[in-house]
Amino acid sequence: MLELDAVSYRYPGYARQVLADVSLAIGSGEIVGLVGRNESGKSTLCLVASGLAPVSVGGVLAGEVRIDGTATAGLRPFELASRVGLVFQNPNTQRSGVTATVFEEVALGPVNLGLPVAETVERTHWALRTLRIEALADRDPARLSGGQAQLVAIASILAMRPPHLVLDEPTAQLDPEGTRLVGEALQALAGTGAALLVAEHKTDLLDRLCSRVVALDGGRVAMDGPAAIVLADPALEQLGVERPARHRIAGEVAAAGLVLPGAIA
Amino acid sequence: MAPPSGNPTTLSEADRAYLASLAPQAASPYHALNPLTKAAIATIATLAAFVLGGYVAPLAILTVLVIPGAVAAGVLTRLTRVAVLISVPISISVALVSVFTRAGATVLFTVGPFDATAEGVDFAGQIIVRLFVTAMALGLFGLTTEPRAFVVDLERRGLSPRVAFAAAATLETIPLMVERALAIQAAQRARGLDTEGSLAARIGGVMPLVGPVILSSLTEVEERSLALEVRAFGRPGRRDQLWTLADDGRQRLLRWALLVGFILVLVGRVAGALPALP
Amino acid sequence: MSSSWFRVLVAAVVAIVALVAGLALYGSSIGGGTANPDTGLVPGSDAFMLVLALSLLLGFIAYAAIEFAQTRRLDSIARQFDTRTIVLMPIAIAINIVLGQTVGTALKIPLYLDSIGTILVGALAGPIPGALTGLLANLIWTFVLAGTPFGSPYAWPYAIVAAEIGLLAGVFGYYGFFRSRPNTSWPKLLGGLAAAIVILLGLVVYGVIPFYKGDFVFFGSSPTEGFFNVIAYGIAVGLILGLIALAIQLFVKRDLGVAFIVVGGAICGVVSALISAPISAFVFGGVTGSGADILVAAFQQAGSSLIDAVFQQGLLQDPIDKTIEFIVAFLLLQTLSRRFTARFPQGERAVGVIEA
Repeated sequence: MLELDAVSYRYPGYARQVLADVSLAIGSGEIVGLVGRNESGKSTLCLVASGLAPVSVGGVLAGEVRIDGTATAGLRPFELASRVGLVFQNPNTQRSGVTATVFEEVALGPVNLGLPVAETVERTHWALRTLRIEALADRDPARLSGGQAQLVAIASILAMRPPHLVLDEPTAQLDPEGTRLVGEALQALAGTGAALLVAEHKTDLLDRLCSRVVALDGGRVAMDGPAAIVLADPALEQLGVERPARHRIAGEVAAAGLVLPGAIA
Repeated sequence: MAPPSGNPTTLSEADRAYLASLAPQAASPYHALNPLTKAAIATIATLAAFVLGGYVAPLAILTVLVIPGAVAAGVLTRLTRVAVLISVPISISVALVSVFTRAGATVLFTVGPFDATAEGVDFAGQIIVRLFVTAMALGLFGLTTEPRAFVVDLERRGLSPRVAFAAAATLETIPLMVERALAIQAAQRARGLDTEGSLAARIGGVMPLVGPVILSSLTEVEERSLALEVRAFGRPGRRDQLWTLADDGRQRLLRWALLVGFILVLVGRVAGALPALP
Repeated sequence: MSSSWFRVLVAAVVAIVALVAGLALYGSSIGGGTANPDTGLVPGSDAFMLVLALSLLLGFIAYAAIEFAQTRRLDSIARQFDTRTIVLMPIAIAINIVLGQTVGTALKIPLYLDSIGTILVGALAGPIPGALTGLLANLIWTFVLAGTPFGSPYAWPYAIVAAEIGLLAGVFGYYGFFRSRPNTSWPKLLGGLAAAIVILLGLVVYGVIPFYKGDFVFFGSSPTEGFFNVIAYGIAVGLILGLIALAIQLFVKRDLGVAFIVVGGAICGVVSALISAPISAFVFGGVTGSGADILVAAFQQAGSSLIDAVFQQGLLQDPIDKTIEFIVAFLLLQTLSRRFTARFPQGERAVGVIEA
């Protein structure tokens, strides 16, 4: 269970609050989508939910973030790492730059945790298998397509086996093929019982994945509810979020007064 | 998240073989030496060449410590080419600065206000020999050692994982930065900024080139450091490495022998017990 | 006595013993001895700064060794390196090497430009990370990059100079030298400028001039020295133009920060020249491979010994080079977002806090 309890946050050196009074709880096996326009606080919420803000970033946090009941405030960054994973949008800055093969790259987290080699190897195999990228194991991590590199980044986090996973626009820099690969991987992860928070612009992807969707506006929760209802709500467009294609088309079809045989939605 | 079954305590044979295959493969017995051994040979050869001076000692060091290794590694031709390429520009500087300006009794020839003296030629010759031996010794180390392997081996010996990271990450950062610099330089050429021409123009050309390359790299620091934090990079304490490089008693003995030998030579020279060789 | 005080004490003793031994071995201007009537310098005094730097390094190594022996860890040193600093270091080292090797040589400018990254780390993270970045940069340049086109077998002897640059940049950063101080009031600005000029003059009189005394006739009247007069006046004109440009910057933006940067850069440059000259003379016969080597020849031709010529060249080139590098680092720090710089250990001290 990943809980945010009346959380407000501001960055170091800035007086403005980027998050204001956000409450959110994500249970095991649940996938929650996070939408909102740029600068609405999505990325900040990801940093706060994973504990890195303020533990590593600094700044001032009001309210409490709890991971399975433990407040993140007193933990050190490496203690957070095995409790909640965080995937960023740019596969290039997530690559460590010190490994020669994908296998070593994925194994880096477990190695840093101080695990025995046998366990590191098993976890690495498992992460590669879960994301179906075993074939990439011997490749140079610097020479992968964007989609492959992002899968490696996700695998690198999975190998540390955090019970919670936060993803900040994991497909933002990917082409449709890469987006499809990541989407399938997240679906597979959901099947294994992970708790996921996914910030995304691509609502079609969230439509396929999520059970619940939260919309942010100006650092506050503007909408929160079952994915089917929030993503279908035309009010979403006012928050700078494009609804999934099926809802948009259904809306336009309805607005034109047409009735299609076998409704799309 | 569904955990794999149990906590394995032993590696399967297949995994063991796979991890061994991740270590850089040695192309020759010299390549297969532990990186620290090769580094010790290069460093001691370099230092000894400077401490002993003259012509005979550096060339003897080259013959005994560097050339056999280069032959064993099968890189002698390449190494010589690389060392010549590296040492020629600085050798030209040395020659220009020393040959014509060193006061001496024997004037060989005169160019304008400059007298080339035999003493100057001798001094420059000694320096150039030393620089060439240095380039050969360090070049042999570079040509036969995977930099990443050297860093991993040092980490196994107790180098802080953080310093090891800084060293290893530099390897990837430099080509990346050069790529960016070239791209920006090409873009600026297209805009009419040039890196040729007068000194003032060249200096003026540096800033627009330096700024973007550095800024684009620096802005990534925040993302990179957060991405490392979530992979427990900051955890203090030792890590079990996936692969290690072979080392043995004979190599340890060789390294100690080199070190002790060098210290003896150093003390001998400082105390005046060792005569200066020509 | 607590273990950390023991370490500091032993480190201090080691440094002082090394300093005394080094000076005894090479002579010093402090311990007496007969001054050379030509130059006014006591034999060996030219290596004073190098011996001092090496002694400090030995003291630091002793400190680290004792801490490791006591705790099997290097926590008090490691604590100064947070993840952000560690990620910055390879980028800083790459900046050093790429600028030093590619831009410096490609543009054929008689400058080194190989310490900007070191200065950035020193300013943002502190003296120890700065010094380690410099040290590591030159060692990596030689050893780790040995097999690549960016390796240089001739960088390692200057590692101690690079460490000194990072150390000083860290100290200057701690005292806020890299802060921008725009729109300073005129009286304050003029006062700051006057103070800067006094410091620079002191530096020139006590740090630079002694190395140009004696028979040496750089601006000599002998007609056969015409070639060197041209060089000398060229340098003088260049220096004056540079100072005028800085003064304009200072007055147009009324940014007193420029005065701090110039003073910091000049101090760093003089110290660097004093440390590196004996290295250049002993290891490379007086050359560094930079465009300024011709000056060493010029000074020797004008009557200086090799070591003096290297000092004379270095004391012209290094202060200019380091001042330029400090200015570049200063401009970079002002350009970077505060969100970035403020998160480093010494970031707020180095670049200041925006008044709300």
